[in-house]
Amino acid sequence: MATLAVTLLLVSLLVFLVVRVLPGDPALVIVGIEGSAEAAERIRESLGLNRPLIVQYGDWVGRALRGDLGKSIQYDVPVAGLIASRLPVTLPLTLMAAGFMALAAVPVGLFAATHQRRWGDYLAMALSQVGVAVPAFWAGLLLILLFAVKLGWFKSGGFDGWGQGALPALKSLLLPAVALGLFQFAVLARTTRSAVLEVLREEYVRTARAKGLAERAVLFRHALRNAMIPILTVAGIQLGQLMAGSIVLESVFYLPGLGRLAIGAISARDLPVVQGVVLFVACVIVTINVAVDLLYGVLDPRIRYE
Amino acid sequence: MRIGKLARVTLAIALALAFEAAGVTAQTAPATLVVQVSTEPPGLDLTTSPASAIAGVVFDNVQEGLIKIDRTGKMIPWLAERWYTTDSRNYTFFLRRNVRFHNGREMRAADVKFALDRAVNPETKHPYRTQYEAIQDVIVKDDYTITVSLKKLDATFLYTLARQGSVIYPREAVDSLKTQPLGTGPFTVSEWVRGDRIVLVKNKDYWGKGLPRLDKVTYRFIADPNAALAALKAGDVDVSAFGIGPESVDELKKDARFQVIVGDTTNDVTLSMNNSKKPFTDKRVRLAVTHAINKDEVLKGAMFGYGKILGSNVDPLNPYYVDVSKRVPYDPAKAKKLLAEAGYPNGFDVTFRVAPQYLYTVRSAEIITSQFAKVGIRAKIEQIEWPTWLSQVFCLAPCQNPDYEMSIIGHAEAWDIANFANPKYYFRWDNADFQKLFAESQITVDDTKRRDLYVKMQQMLADEAPAVWLYMHPRLMVAKKGVTGLWKDLPLLVLDLSEVSWQK
Repeated sequence: MATLAVTLLLVSLLVFLVVRVLPGDPALVIVGIEGSAEAAERIRESLGLNRPLIVQYGDWVGRALRGDLGKSIQYDVPVAGLIASRLPVTLPLTLMAAGFMALAAVPVGLFAATHQRRWGDYLAMALSQVGVAVPAFWAGLLLILLFAVKLGWFKSGGFDGWGQGALPALKSLLLPAVALGLFQFAVLARTTRSAVLEVLREEYVRTARAKGLAERAVLFRHALRNAMIPILTVAGIQLGQLMAGSIVLESVFYLPGLGRLAIGAISARDLPVVQGVVLFVACVIVTINVAVDLLYGVLDPRIRYE
Repeated sequence: MRIGKLARVTLAIALALAFEAAGVTAQTAPATLVVQVSTEPPGLDLTTSPASAIAGVVFDNVQEGLIKIDRTGKMIPWLAERWYTTDSRNYTFFLRRNVRFHNGREMRAADVKFALDRAVNPETKHPYRTQYEAIQDVIVKDDYTITVSLKKLDATFLYTLARQGSVIYPREAVDSLKTQPLGTGPFTVSEWVRGDRIVLVKNKDYWGKGLPRLDKVTYRFIADPNAALAALKAGDVDVSAFGIGPESVDELKKDARFQVIVGDTTNDVTLSMNNSKKPFTDKRVRLAVTHAINKDEVLKGAMFGYGKILGSNVDPLNPYYVDVSKRVPYDPAKAKKLLAEAGYPNGFDVTFRVAPQYLYTVRSAEIITSQFAKVGIRAKIEQIEWPTWLSQVFCLAPCQNPDYEMSIIGHAEAWDIANFANPKYYFRWDNADFQKLFAESQITVDDTKRRDLYVKMQQMLADEAPAVWLYMHPRLMVAKKGVTGLWKDLPLLVLDLSEVSWQK
């Protein structure tokens, strides 16, 4: 718990400093090139950007501890509420992408491992090679061109909220989720393949086969279960990367999610929002890591935490 | 096997989604419009922020002024039905009657006084406060009559009243202008989903007869030009107001589903030189730079030929515009000669600092770099982020010295020749004769005399070359066929949707 708190405190300090080291001033971005020095000064004053850094940081951390992340410069509304309003997009998007990634990668990896050096293996690995090579934004654009522009099955983007029903909402997240999950699918498929191959060489697999177990039982009960630890480790890291990847895909599909909030905030130098989003994502990733650590114990009863 | 079951479930969901897709396509009912814009406004208050993205949503649609600038650039009576002045020092305005704010209350002279007093008051720090400096007093004569007296002659006074900073709003709603601006306009703000869209709905009590024609307008914020193009092609947006790049125009023109509106703007794409830095302190060098640039080639390469060549800081939509682009023509031999005279027979090194957010600036810089090479100027391009550009190149106070040699950006404001009369502006051009001419134009009310001064200023700018005016950025707007009433030209930065409708 103590390391957790220290990690988050360090993250908060880092993000606070980084956004302030960046050249650029939120007041100037707001007034633009039609603006005057006077208008910029007025905005600076009202934002409290004239105070010493240490005062600003102390104030921010103090409030954050009480759940108050401050107010957005661009929008003039509380940052916490802004983040909360984006979660109904980013969370299902990330989970769908993760689901797509896991459901596709584990079978493909398993298939490749059991068909090593045969055409099925080569095909699966070629597929995942493509997945690694294609940038997510480009995959997104290709999907839009095919399914929205050519076929007209999907909308080119946008998200009208869950109020319009679960199905239309899920549907507008499907293409971005596929595009988002593609890269991570490829990585996870390769990880699964090598992890399973590794295990298949183990003595206990030979023993299992020797005692006459069906190949399926060997594969699922012995090989896959033992290969799960490296797979889960990679998948946990990937879950965090999916959240980061949503920045790009939310822009391509103009989804009002956390990633687009972050990128808009960075280019507007909306410091409280940037800080809030980074801190939030850091919390999520720390939580995922803890969850993965706990899962190790479930998969391998030998692993115990004091 | 469990995986087989999963595959079946996945297939079932996919099929369900595909069936459901058929029902969604016919979503655009005729009285609604979806407009794509690139930039989301930072708040919606025109009286505290000069951001043009705010004007694009609010100005003329939600809030209006006493005077309006129409689609041809002419000033026409608006919330003020008429006005008169005998001495150009005291203006009396007669307000239109039965104009109601969105909260149902009738607009009165006291609201106009409140808005103008607030603009003048240094405490409120209106973004354009200096434009209101001439105002001495605002006197309410009765509920529908108001007199504004000026301390000194101000040739731009009526124009100031027509601008976005002079919108009239109900006094009681002044504190919520940033999130829920009330006004007298044809639309009201119904919903703002931050980061995604703003929805305007028809003001049923609008004073303008038969307007607006649309029931609902949705502004979608799509910054990525490729995503905007895809949304347009998929039919998810009806109008792309500013977001289409020149490279897509020809393709869209061939597409029978769309109309491409190519118009003029007040956006002067300007190559700036830091006049306080060597070698640009020398007029011969600045002229050599101008002679070295083939603007036709730049326009063709960077803008696919859309736009108009400029010769000074007045755009073709300005009533005082004269073509001075031939005064310092493309002439590499002369450029070389001038460079030699100025002591740079072998040219010099220079760095462009440009922001790729405005892609045309990078494209233009690339072409100009190769043209410079022919006269010995060795240019490098450094791409920087827009906020960095603003704080380092544009350099508003407290920033002291702009950190750049050369840059390119579009100056979109109308009548912004004033920037050259300001020695603190990032051009850092300090010319007393020009400043005198400009000051005189500000107090010259007579139109013919004022025009003469503007012609002189344009010629002087061309001859002194404190910057190079490359081209007027074109308006490139794409709309679905059937959308009518959009403005072709942009005499000021607005997106007036009051007369827009779908043709049956």
